[in-house]
Amino acid sequence: MNVLFPRDLKGFFKALAEPGARVLAGGTDLLVRLRANPQATANAPEGAGSATLVSLDRLAALRGIVEDSKAETRDAGPGNLHRTLRIGAATTHAELLAHPLVRARLPVLAQALAELGSPPIRNMATLGGNICTASPAGDSLPPLLVLGAEVELASAAGVRRMALAEFILGPGRTAFMPGEVLLAVHVPLPAVGCVQHFEKVGRRSALAVAVVSLAALVRLDRRGRIAEARLAWGSVAPTVWRCPEAEAALIGRTLSLTALSAAAAIVRARVQPIDDIRASAAYRREVAGNLLLRLAVL
Amino acid sequence: MANPSGILSPPRHDALSKAVGAERFAADLAPEGCLHAGAFRPGALLGIAHGRVRGVDAAAALAVPGVLRVLTAADVPGTNLQGIIHKDQPVLCGEVIRHAGDPVALVLATSAEALRAGLAALRADIEPLPGVFDPEAALKKDAPLVHQGRKGGNLLLGAVIEKGDARTALRSAPRVVRGEFSTPVQEHAFLETQCGVAQLLPDGTLDMTVSTQAPFRDRFEIGQALGLDPLRIRVRAPHLGGGFGGKDGATVQCLLGLAALNASGRPVRMAWDREESILAGYKRHAVRLRCALGADADGTLLAFTCRAFYDTGPYAHLGGEVMELGLEHAAGPYRIPHTRIEGRCVYTNNPIAGAFRGFGVAQVSPAFEGLLDELAEQLGLDPLELRRRNALTRGDVNCAGVRLDSSVHLVECLDTLAAHPLWLGREAWQAEAPACTRRGVGLAAVFNGMGYGRGLPDMAIAKVELTEAGDFLVYSGVADMGQGNSSAFALLAAQELNQPPGAVRLLQPDTALCHPSGSSSAGRTTYTFGNALLKACAAMRDKLLARAAMPLLRDTLEGLELVAGAVRHAATGKTLPLAVLARYLSRDDRICVADFLMPVAQDPPDTGRAFPIGFPHLFFAYAAHLARIEVDELTGRVRVCDYLAITDGGRVLDRSCFDQQAQGGVAQGIGFALIEDFQLRQGLIRSRDLSTYLIPTALDVPDTLSLAVEGDEDTGPRGLKGVGEVGLNGPAPAMAAALHRATGVRLRHLPFTPERVLAALKQRKTPSRRRA
Amino acid sequence: MMLSFTLNGQGVRLDTALDKRVVDLLRELQALDVKEGCGTGECGACSVLLDGVHRLSCLMLAAQLQGRELTTAAGLGSASAPHPIQRAFAEHGAVQCGFCSPGMTIAASALLAQNPDPTRDEVRRALSGNLCRCTGYVKIVDAVRAAAKELGDAPSDAPSAAPDDETAGARGKP
Repeated sequence: MNVLFPRDLKGFFKALAEPGARVLAGGTDLLVRLRANPQATANAPEGAGSATLVSLDRLAALRGIVEDSKAETRDAGPGNLHRTLRIGAATTHAELLAHPLVRARLPVLAQALAELGSPPIRNMATLGGNICTASPAGDSLPPLLVLGAEVELASAAGVRRMALAEFILGPGRTAFMPGEVLLAVHVPLPAVGCVQHFEKVGRRSALAVAVVSLAALVRLDRRGRIAEARLAWGSVAPTVWRCPEAEAALIGRTLSLTALSAAAAIVRARVQPIDDIRASAAYRREVAGNLLLRLAVL
Repeated sequence: MANPSGILSPPRHDALSKAVGAERFAADLAPEGCLHAGAFRPGALLGIAHGRVRGVDAAAALAVPGVLRVLTAADVPGTNLQGIIHKDQPVLCGEVIRHAGDPVALVLATSAEALRAGLAALRADIEPLPGVFDPEAALKKDAPLVHQGRKGGNLLLGAVIEKGDARTALRSAPRVVRGEFSTPVQEHAFLETQCGVAQLLPDGTLDMTVSTQAPFRDRFEIGQALGLDPLRIRVRAPHLGGGFGGKDGATVQCLLGLAALNASGRPVRMAWDREESILAGYKRHAVRLRCALGADADGTLLAFTCRAFYDTGPYAHLGGEVMELGLEHAAGPYRIPHTRIEGRCVYTNNPIAGAFRGFGVAQVSPAFEGLLDELAEQLGLDPLELRRRNALTRGDVNCAGVRLDSSVHLVECLDTLAAHPLWLGREAWQAEAPACTRRGVGLAAVFNGMGYGRGLPDMAIAKVELTEAGDFLVYSGVADMGQGNSSAFALLAAQELNQPPGAVRLLQPDTALCHPSGSSSAGRTTYTFGNALLKACAAMRDKLLARAAMPLLRDTLEGLELVAGAVRHAATGKTLPLAVLARYLSRDDRICVADFLMPVAQDPPDTGRAFPIGFPHLFFAYAAHLARIEVDELTGRVRVCDYLAITDGGRVLDRSCFDQQAQGGVAQGIGFALIEDFQLRQGLIRSRDLSTYLIPTALDVPDTLSLAVEGDEDTGPRGLKGVGEVGLNGPAPAMAAALHRATGVRLRHLPFTPERVLAALKQRKTPSRRRA
Repeated sequence: MMLSFTLNGQGVRLDTALDKRVVDLLRELQALDVKEGCGTGECGACSVLLDGVHRLSCLMLAAQLQGRELTTAAGLGSASAPHPIQRAFAEHGAVQCGFCSPGMTIAASALLAQNPDPTRDEVRRALSGNLCRCTGYVKIVDAVRAAAKELGDAPSDAPSAAPDDETAGARGKP
C-alpha cells in the first residue's frame, strides 16, 4: 500500500487519480476495516484492493473552521440569519469541540461530538470521515441534519454543494460522483434561543456505538409555542431518520409532556428499526419515542 | 481522595517500572530472528461450531513466501490432549472441531506478515455436525454428543451437596421463595492477550516464557500433550498483563511447544490478537439455577434447594471444580440447617469455559441473595436485618456442612454497612430522584472460599537467598498476574528479616530456579506462599544470627539481632554487615527453603457427593456490599452512583493492594451485572472484539469505597486471608436489589441491560403483578 | 522509504514500509512501553502523543510520522527519573497488572497539559478511551489528581513533560 500526502488541492486530485486510491482521513474507521479485511476499502467493502491511501494530514485546505456570514444555504435552519460555519472536512472532532462558536451556537452538535468515541478517537477522527462513512450510527449526523448542513463536494471538474440529507443514501453509501471528495461542511447557525438537544443511548458511557440517538432543534415563538421542530434519529434506520409527522404534530404546542408524548406515539408507530447485537428493534422503537420526552425536562 | 483511610501504603515494588513502561511482559518478547506461529481456527470462518474435519489444504499457505511449516494433528508427537485435570482438549483437532475456535493447523512463518498471509491462505473442509448449545438440552437422551463414545455422554460431572433433609424441611417451611436465575458467559478481557515465546535448546530443553498463571503445572500439561519429559521443559512467568483465571491452564503453551519442536532450534513467538483471544480463550461458565429458600415467619432460614447447570463448553478445563465451588457457596454465607444443592456441569459446543475470578461463585451469588431479598420483602423485614440474623459466625456449620473454625466476620461487615451514611441515608436519597429517574439502594452479602480445597494439596515452597551483595532475593513460585502478590512477598520478607523494603528483591517464577508452589489462583497465593516465605525467612534469620556469632565473637546467640543490612549485637552495638557475612558463606548456606501446606478439613462432612477433589474449603473471605444506582425511565440505562465494599480478608498487610482487589473486583462485577454481554448464536460468537464485547470504561464505574473489617485469621501469614475473588461476587446481587428498589421488579437474568431494565419499568406500570 | 521523526526527543531516521502501523514500528524500535491490546482503537494501550496530542498508534501508519514529534510513556520519564504522573501512579496504587499503565499515563499527561486542575469527573472523561481491567479506575483517578496537584504546586520550570510549551503555558491556574 502506498501512502500519499498531497499539500494542495491540485496534488490531492492528482493523488486520487491513482488506481484504487482511497482517502485516509483520521483512520479510525478505515484502518480498522483494513485490518479486518486487507482487501476492503472504505466506501466499497466489496471493492478491489486498496493500492493507494491519500492522507489528508498535510492538506491545510481541508482543515479549519471559518464563519461565513454571506453564505447562502438552500436549507436555512430555523430563524437562520444566514450566518454559516464552513468546517473543513478534515477538521477533527476535538478541534470542533474546542471551537467557541461550536460550543456556543451549536450545542446539539457539540453534545454529540463530546460523546463520539473517546478522547484519542476524537483527536484523530474527522467530521468528514464521520459523514463519508455514512454509518446509521454516525454520531455527528443527526445534529448536522437538523441543523440543515450542506456538503461541499469537489472533483477535478469543479465544486458543487448539496444538502447532507441528499448526500447520504444508505449505510456506507453516498452520492459521491467518481473522483469526487468532500471538501467542507456548511452548517447554518440557528437563531439564539432555539432549543438544541442531543442524546445518545449506548451500551456504556464512552466508546459506545449508538443504539438510538436523537438530535432536536426546536424554535419557539414568543409565547413559548413550537414554531418549528427538527428531529433526527440515529441507529433506527439505514440512514439518519426524520419524522415529519411527529415534527408537524408539535407545531403550535409547548414542550410539554402531553405534546411530546403524542409526538412520541407517532414516532413509535412510524419508525422501523432492526434487531442487532446491541439492541432489539422493539427496544429501539420504544426508546426512539421516549427520547423525545426528555425535551420536557431539560 | 476516594480512600478515606488516607493511608498511603509504600508503593508496590513493581509499580514504578510498570508505570514508566519499563516492565517486560511476555508480550514484549520477540527474540532476534524468531519465527511466528499462529493457529488456524476455521470454525469461526465457516460458521461451524461442531464439525468433522475432512481435510486441511495447506498448499496455498505453503506457497506464501516466509511460511515454513503447516502442522496438523498428525504432527503432534504426544497424546495431543491437553487439560488441567481431565485431558480432553486436542492441541490440534484432527477429526472433529467441537467449538468455533478449535484449531486444526499451526502455521510457522518467518514474519508476522507472512504468518497472517499464510493463515489467510489455509483452507479447511469441515462437514457440519449437529451441535448442542444449552446444557439442559445437552442432557436430553437424543442430544448430539460433544465427545463421541464418552461414558456419561455430555455430562462432565454431576454432584450433590446434601445436609439434613432439605426437601422435607422446605415442604413444612412457613415461608418459601423460589426462582430461576441465570448468569452469562464472561470474557476475561485482560489487556495482554495470551502469548509467549519458546525455543528448543541444543540440550533438548524446551525453554518457554509465557503469560501464565501456572508455570509449574504447565510443564506437565505440555509434556503429556506433546510426549515430552515435563522436567525437560522450563517455563518462566514474567508479570502478566492480567489473568483473572483466563491464563490458568494451557493457552498458547502446547501450540507454542509444538511450534518450537518444528523450528530447527529457532525461537518461536505466538501472540493471539484480540479476536483470537475472544474466540479461543477460556470464559466464565454460563450458569442456570433453580432454587428455593424456606424460612420461619421470623426470618430464620430453614432449608435451601438448588439445581444448577454449568455450561463448560466442549472441554473440561476446570469445569467440574468451578461447579463444585459454586455448589459449596450456593446457599450463601448463612446458617441453613437443611440444604440440597445439585449441580451438573455439561459439555456443549459453546466456547470453552474455565477459571474466572469468583470461580463458580459469582454465578450463584445473584440467586441466593435474590431469594433472600424476596424473603425479606415477604416477611416485611429489613434485608440487612434478615442477613444479620442468619449470617455465619465462627463455630457455625455452613451450608456445605463444614464447621467454621476459621475467622468469620461477616456480621461485623454488615454492622459496618448498617452504620454507614450511604445506608442510613438511603430513604432520603431515593426520595430525591431527579426527573425521569428512579433511584435504588441495594446490598449484598457474599463470600468466597480460599485455596484448592480438600484432595488437592495446596502447597507452596519458598526460597530466599542472601546474595553476595548482602541483600535478599526471594524466588517466587507463584505468578503475579497483577494482583500484587509478588509485592506482598517482598513486603512480608522485608518485615520478617527486619530489612528496609529495598533490601528484598524478587525473582518471578522460573521452573529452573524456583520451587513449585501451585497456581496463581483461588485467593491462595499470598496465603500459601506467604506462609512458606515467612518460615523460610525465619530460618534465614536464625541461620544468619548463628553464622554471625563467630565473626562477632559471641558464644551465645543471645542479644544478636538482624537489623538493616547487618547482624548486630545489641549490648555492645557491634555489627557485622550482611555483605561481609555473605562472603563467609557458601552459596548453599546462603539459601533457605521452606514449605507450607494449607490446612484442610480433618474430618470432612459426608455432605458432598461425587466430588473428586476440591471439597470442602475451610477458609473464606466475606464481604458486605452496597450499591446506589439511578435508573433512567426513558432508556432503562443504569448509572452506578456509589459503591461501598466492606471486606473481611483477615488482617490487612498492604492497604493499597487490599483496596485494589476490592475496587477491581467490583468493577468487573459491575461489568458482569450491567454491561458485558457475551453474545452467542449456535455456538458462534457475535461479540467478537472489544467494540462489541464491552467492558467498563472509567465513566461506567463509580469511586468504589473500600473498607476493611480486620480480624486475624490465625493460620494466615500475619493473619491475612485471600481477598482476590470475593469482590466480584457482590455487584450482581447488589445491582439486582437496587434495581428492585428502583423499579419494583426483580431481575434474575444477567446482564441487566437497558433493554431488560426498561422492560421491567414497563412491567411495573401495570401494578397487578406483585406477589405475596 | 526513508522516514524521519522524533521519538522521545531523539531523532529517528530509518527505511521502513509506509503502511506499517505505528505501533508495530515503535515496537520494532524497542519502544516496548507502547502496548497493543486490541488493534482497533478500543483499548488505548497503544496511546502516544503526536505533537503533544493523544492518539492511538494502532490506527496510524508510519508515513504519518514524517517530520513529527512522537512521545511515548518512556518519553515522559523513567524509573530513575519518573514524571510526576508516573510517580503518582506508583504511589497511589494506580498500577496493578500494569499493561494499561503506559497508555493511561499518556492520556493523563495530555489531560493535564490542557487542564491543570481537573475534577474527578474530568479525569474519568479524559481517560475514557483507555481501558483498565484491574483497578476499577479509582486509584488511577486519585493518581492523576495527585499529579495535577504536584505539577500545580511545582515551580513552572519543573518537570520536562513532552509538550513543554503547552504545559508551561497551561500550568498556571486561570
